[in-house]
Amino acid sequence: MNQIKRIGSIIVALFMILGAGLMAYETDFGYRFILLMIGLSLEIAGVRELIYYFFMARHMVGGNMMLIKGVIMLDFGALTISLTDVPSGYVILYLLGIHVFSGIVEILRAFEAKRYGGNWKLKFFHGMLNMAIVILCVIFFNRPEIAVYVYASGLVYSAILRVITAFRRTAVVSIQ
Amino acid sequence: MQEDFHYYATYCAAFIAGYSHEESLQICYGAQLVDLCSKTFLTKLKAPLSAATTQLQLEMMDARLDVVGLQDITRIWASFHFLPYDLYAKKPKRSKSYMHRYRLICGPDSELVKETVVLAKSAPLPAVGLAMHVLADTWAHRYFAGTPSLVINNTNYHFYEMVEKDGETTERQIRFTHKPSSPDDVFEGVYTNTLYQPKERAIMNLGHGRAGHFPDYSFARYRYLPAWGDYEEIIKDNPSDYMNAFCQMVYALKYIRGERDEFETGHYEKENISRWAETIDEILRKRQLNANDDWKEFGKSLSGQEIEDFVIEKYMDEYIHAEKDQKDDTYLGKFIIAALKQKSMVTGKIYRSKNPLAGISVNYNGKGIKGIRDYAKLISAVQGEKHESD
Repeated sequence: MNQIKRIGSIIVALFMILGAGLMAYETDFGYRFILLMIGLSLEIAGVRELIYYFFMARHMVGGNMMLIKGVIMLDFGALTISLTDVPSGYVILYLLGIHVFSGIVEILRAFEAKRYGGNWKLKFFHGMLNMAIVILCVIFFNRPEIAVYVYASGLVYSAILRVITAFRRTAVVSIQ
Repeated sequence: MQEDFHYYATYCAAFIAGYSHEESLQICYGAQLVDLCSKTFLTKLKAPLSAATTQLQLEMMDARLDVVGLQDITRIWASFHFLPYDLYAKKPKRSKSYMHRYRLICGPDSELVKETVVLAKSAPLPAVGLAMHVLADTWAHRYFAGTPSLVINNTNYHFYEMVEKDGETTERQIRFTHKPSSPDDVFEGVYTNTLYQPKERAIMNLGHGRAGHFPDYSFARYRYLPAWGDYEEIIKDNPSDYMNAFCQMVYALKYIRGERDEFETGHYEKENISRWAETIDEILRKRQLNANDDWKEFGKSLSGQEIEDFVIEKYMDEYIHAEKDQKDDTYLGKFIIAALKQKSMVTGKIYRSKNPLAGISVNYNGKGIKGIRDYAKLISAVQGEKHESD
């Protein structure tokens, strides 16, 4: 990673933390913000897919699928953004699904890593954390602000990882 | 390639090249270890993790696919299993990012193979074994790249195996399944491959994952459409390629032993092995999941000695219980230095070709370590070697 990418990564991380703070402070705004983010991320994914098609996948055997995928994603993104009144339960269900899945996968991988004698504690901790979030979401199913807090803490966590990555030494030493 | 070639066939090549039974065993152990020296293995040894020469399935599933994670993956797989053929290859009307991936496609007889063999000359036997693994894999893994890339490594349903039946060659379409737990059915033509993941950098698109383990079988002869090939078919003949790999190993090993002054690409020790050519060809063409027993038998007929099976724990105690300043003198210590050297050399070459996929390589200028801390070990080892030669 070169210096510009490192600095860029840190700036993005700072914005993520700022955004998370704002959402947690103003939960009503935060809730609408999550919906907007889901729609926007679909739109961005669609655009990225189209760029990927025009710059790379069009040279690939069977690459036309990427063009179709990009267009469909753009459509779904536009549809999501246009939905203004989604019951909070759906957003919580969405978060619940993500965390149940990643929690189970992380715990299973932790057991597998332990079997091979590798590092497993951090993975196990991640898995348990995900499951704790799931329990939290179930208990407070009727409170939309919980979804906002969960989403905001996820953002902070990703931001911290970005900062750590930006400071990692990555160069391989070459001896002439 | 698998254990049959990397361990037993490498033993045979080393013995034919003039190494003793004991030396051949050390060489083939190093060659096979490349497929097992993962970060998990190094963690058990408390050794530098940057010396990893492979990744376990479990490690790959956990690997982060951010820039740094992808660079780590590319360093491992491009340095040890998919040595790039031409880092400056040209292809018209392609974007820069496409070409970065395209230039990592593996192939035999490259400049990097030569560099790898030259690096192993005057190096200890574990390093020689490591170089033989890299060389042999350039034949088995040609046309695939050691970096996750859909546009390069993907394959589709157009994948046909050529099968010899009653003296005639017939073709059948290969059936790929996604059950890693079920063994390949080499007689019915059913093989396990990775799931189709329509994401450019998905880990499933690393190397020959999309063609499963099939390219690693010495008997395999097939035609398919590589994703990068502009809809032109490639015919891959493994028995012939593996024979070249064997002959090139003998040639390279003779150079490393000092019997030749120069290692040239495109040269294979065919004449000197002609008396065993039929036996070797028979082993290579035999349809079986692994040819361990056949190669073992052949090795025994060469040296008259029993070839012990590969046991990963063989040198672990020696390394773990060695004093800190003596670890580099153990078998695994020498292997680790060799792995760091190879990774450093290949990463440096990729970086200097202005390809960012393997990450940044910094020249050591003797004024302290700027890069990954693990490489301090490599610097001290190289300084020690210089000191000894002075």
